[in-house]
Amino acid sequence: MKAQQAASGWKRQLKNEFSAIAFLAPFLIPLLVFYIWPLLRGAYISLHSWTILGMEKYVGFNNYTKILTNSDFYKYLWNSLYFVILVVPIIISLGLLLALLIHRKIPFQTMFRSIYFLPYVLSVSVISFIWLRMFDSKHGLVNVILEALGLSSVHWLTNPKAAWWSIVIATVWWTVGFVMVLFLAGLQEISQELYEAADIDGASSLHKFRFITLPGLSSVMKVQIFFQIIAGLKLFGQVQIMTNGGPGDTTNTIIRYIYVTGFKKDMFGLAAAQSTLFCIFMLLIAGVQYMVVNRKES
Amino acid sequence: MARAAIYSLTVILAVIFVIPLVWMFVVSFKPEGVSAITIAEWTDFSDLTISNYAKVLIESQILRWTWNSFVIGAVTTLITVIISSLGAFAFSRKNFKSKGFLFILCVSGLLIPTEAMLIPLYETVLSMDLLDNMWGIILPSLTNPLGLILIKQFMDGLPKDYMEAAQIDGGRDFRLWWSIYMPLTRSAMIAIGIFYFIMSWNNFIWPYIAINSEENMVLSTGLPTFLSNNVLHVNTIMAASAIAAIPTMIVYIFLQKHIVQGVSMTGVKG
Repeated sequence: MKAQQAASGWKRQLKNEFSAIAFLAPFLIPLLVFYIWPLLRGAYISLHSWTILGMEKYVGFNNYTKILTNSDFYKYLWNSLYFVILVVPIIISLGLLLALLIHRKIPFQTMFRSIYFLPYVLSVSVISFIWLRMFDSKHGLVNVILEALGLSSVHWLTNPKAAWWSIVIATVWWTVGFVMVLFLAGLQEISQELYEAADIDGASSLHKFRFITLPGLSSVMKVQIFFQIIAGLKLFGQVQIMTNGGPGDTTNTIIRYIYVTGFKKDMFGLAAAQSTLFCIFMLLIAGVQYMVVNRKES
Repeated sequence: MARAAIYSLTVILAVIFVIPLVWMFVVSFKPEGVSAITIAEWTDFSDLTISNYAKVLIESQILRWTWNSFVIGAVTTLITVIISSLGAFAFSRKNFKSKGFLFILCVSGLLIPTEAMLIPLYETVLSMDLLDNMWGIILPSLTNPLGLILIKQFMDGLPKDYMEAAQIDGGRDFRLWWSIYMPLTRSAMIAIGIFYFIMSWNNFIWPYIAINSEENMVLSTGLPTFLSNNVLHVNTIMAASAIAAIPTMIVYIFLQKHIVQGVSMTGVKG
């Protein structure tokens, strides 16, 4: 009797397991085929001398030693990190500023929100085209405005320092509205009573911002910093279209480096090894962030 | 006083934000060689022309690319939202042994993006003979963990009573999902769906690599082919940009509420 019950319980559990996995299968199958499998396959390819046609020859860790002893990989990884360092603080603080500006009931509130957010719905090619022309040293609007203000014009796309700022400005204009909307949603979740209580205590606006608004937005802020760092490390489209990695290789990023090694120079094995190292780097970044966030909370 | 200053700042920033778009449209209607960079040129309406638009429409496959982007976006969005909702139902409403492990597997995609694994993904899609094919773009983008997580959180917030009531009635899981949980999470699914559509529409690097014939390109990858064409003036290029920008701008203006809702869902609860 007991054995029978145990058997039917076990059967029910198995049935339950299968029915749950049946619901997950449509998601899991593409995940396995187009995410997990390529990850493993990439590790395999990275141990070979490989071309687009798949002419393979086992070379062990040769590709890795080649990458790690060559300064190019570090240089382009640093370029990507440099972009993150430039763009993330600007996107987060400008996004917060825009959200604070239009959070309170003001005339044309929705219109302002739409204007700030609008560039986000354009594709990277469109925004790159617009800014490529805006930064044109002769016919571009940016230099015309600078000259009208009595400033000297800048060779935006051919001066190494300015080229980075061209990419940063285009990127900020494109995506800051997204961050703004998230901060707006975060602001709406902060209880009004906190502000009223602070008013009674005679707190200044700066105090209210420091002790109510910022803590209230901390979870949005953490998630956004995380996503913006990942997004920054993925930089490709803007540089591919606007600067082609130039001038020289100043704005060449790690993704573009992998792309050129694999698809332009046809060194698939080497590019796969670069990808694997970059994946490990991304996991490290995620791990460090996770630890930082958790330590602050405990 | 402070209020006025804040409002002025809001207005000034809005003007700065809108200038590049206005500039794109103005230049796209100017005759070749006129960049519309002085006040006189901006306000001179006598020389406006649509010839740049005509040129782009006739000499390129931009309409074809727009159609490809639309089809890929619509199919990707529809399938992604449905399979995410099915998965979310399992994670939110069912208890099973491998739940923890499978959940980590499903959300792991947030950590390593497609961009970091272009080479093996290319190999995989090549071996399935899906390069230069719209399915080669659609299939790898189906398992976006974001939608799964968001719909799961939405379902977690629904009362468990539905589950029990339906089970007593002898309702099966699939019917439960179809007739109760799907309709109840409809607003979340629409918001996420629109968000997915924008993401798919703007997807660049993967279609850039996986599609090589001009007729199969999507809008975002077709547009850069203009740059290799040296004879085109800035005016023609801005007309092409405008044609590429108009569909999403119109969609945004009509579906603003849903888009903003979709975006704010992705960040606040994460």
